[in-house]
Amino acid sequence: MVKVKGLKCRECSRPYPPAPLHVCEFCFGPLEVDYDYESLRGTLTRRSIEAGPPSIWRYRALLPIDGEPAVGVHCGMTPLVKARNLARALGMREVYVKNDTVNHPSFSFKDRVVAVAITRALEFDFTVVACASTGNLANSVAAHAAEGGLQSFVFMPADLEQGKVIGTLIYAPNLVAVEGNYDEVNRLCSEIADKYRWAFVNINIRPYYAEGSKTFGYEIAEQLGWRAPRHIVVPAAGGSLVTKIWKGLKEFERLGLLDGRCETRMHLAQAEGCGPIVTAIKENSEIVKPVKPKTIAKSLAIGNPADGYYAYKAVKASGGHGDHASDEEIVEGMKLLAGTEGIFSETAGGVTVAAAKRLIEQGRIPRDESLVLCITGNGLKTQEAVAPSLRVSLQIKPTLRSFDEAMASHGIEVSPKDPS
Amino acid sequence: MAKRMVMLIFPETLVTEPVIYRLSRKFKIIPNVRRARVTEKVGELTLELEGEEEELAKGIAYLNGLGIKVQPAAGERG
Repeated sequence: MVKVKGLKCRECSRPYPPAPLHVCEFCFGPLEVDYDYESLRGTLTRRSIEAGPPSIWRYRALLPIDGEPAVGVHCGMTPLVKARNLARALGMREVYVKNDTVNHPSFSFKDRVVAVAITRALEFDFTVVACASTGNLANSVAAHAAEGGLQSFVFMPADLEQGKVIGTLIYAPNLVAVEGNYDEVNRLCSEIADKYRWAFVNINIRPYYAEGSKTFGYEIAEQLGWRAPRHIVVPAAGGSLVTKIWKGLKEFERLGLLDGRCETRMHLAQAEGCGPIVTAIKENSEIVKPVKPKTIAKSLAIGNPADGYYAYKAVKASGGHGDHASDEEIVEGMKLLAGTEGIFSETAGGVTVAAAKRLIEQGRIPRDESLVLCITGNGLKTQEAVAPSLRVSLQIKPTLRSFDEAMASHGIEVSPKDPS
Repeated sequence: MAKRMVMLIFPETLVTEPVIYRLSRKFKIIPNVRRARVTEKVGELTLELEGEEEELAKGIAYLNGLGIKVQPAAGERG
């Protein structure tokens, strides 16, 4: 089935061959994969998807690879949790959590994009893969490179959370800690990508890489019984994820895979300390002004988002909105999700929950409509963010008396054992 | 000669000023505009700058000094 027509500039629509290219040489706009949807209509059905593997590769007809997946065969199909307790806490009727904290193999949604990017890189005969990363991508590239037997180079800001550094180093990549912020890491990697023939997954392989995020949207729709929810709240760093979830849902609609139409409102969540896209949404300005990041949500700390304009357009086209979350609200959001649903998300998840709470309180997400929260990474990676606000409940001597006294002094009441 | 793909973000106060003209007069830089977006409050210009590294660095410092944000054209990619 020939489904990829080639690449196309998102700005001027100029066509390009399906090669490792990412920028239009005429207008410098980003390139995107262009599909032959007509050839898929009728051949790609709910039944054919359901017959596929329990992974992102069940949607392979809508992913830009030619052959078999080379890495990440178990990626995706993460749980869509019906979050009854969280819904009650938020005063909502119907809330779901799309839980990519348990994605395989590196516990974030980045496994989706990297599995596609590295498979494509192998098809292009690259032998070295690389990335600039705020953490999750580093974990995922290193893990998939190990699986694919590829040499890898991972460039990270030197001040990242230990969990993300260790979670990368364990896979034995060449980890380069750059003494600078992500902006500087990114600039450096662009120069390296020009000099060496490496597959930088988020630079020269980016058009293919980004398509992997569509599976987040496909899975939401399929797991809801082939329908699109009324609202989705998505965290944003570079802004790509929200555009691709939106694209995925619209593709399903176009191919007749949804019950009814896609009337989903896409809402964006960013931290107050780095929220340029949400600021643009609030100001109704399609120009996203860069900021200097200062937030505990380091995985979202991208001050000059590459896809900011497209994220803005997707949110506006869907009728959605966006909101920020303070560092304090981020921690509270993480605790709320963990305390109500037993899901420990990284800081980005706290941003999503907190922004959703604000949007619900503003009435932008009506309480009687369905809502999906995109939880994109695992909390074990960013324990530093919540550690200061958590403490051991009771500390006692190893005696029953000490236990009873501690219980009483803390006012904890439990029912005694039934004597019968 | 080096080339750089950059995006300039203009504050409201500079949208009506001939900044690119002045850049090319003050420094040995050839600007080639590829794309632009302008709203009432802010302008965004994507262009290629060509010149010797030293001149490019001076020119970009000049733009920064005016209050224009100079970013890589492709932005930051997460």
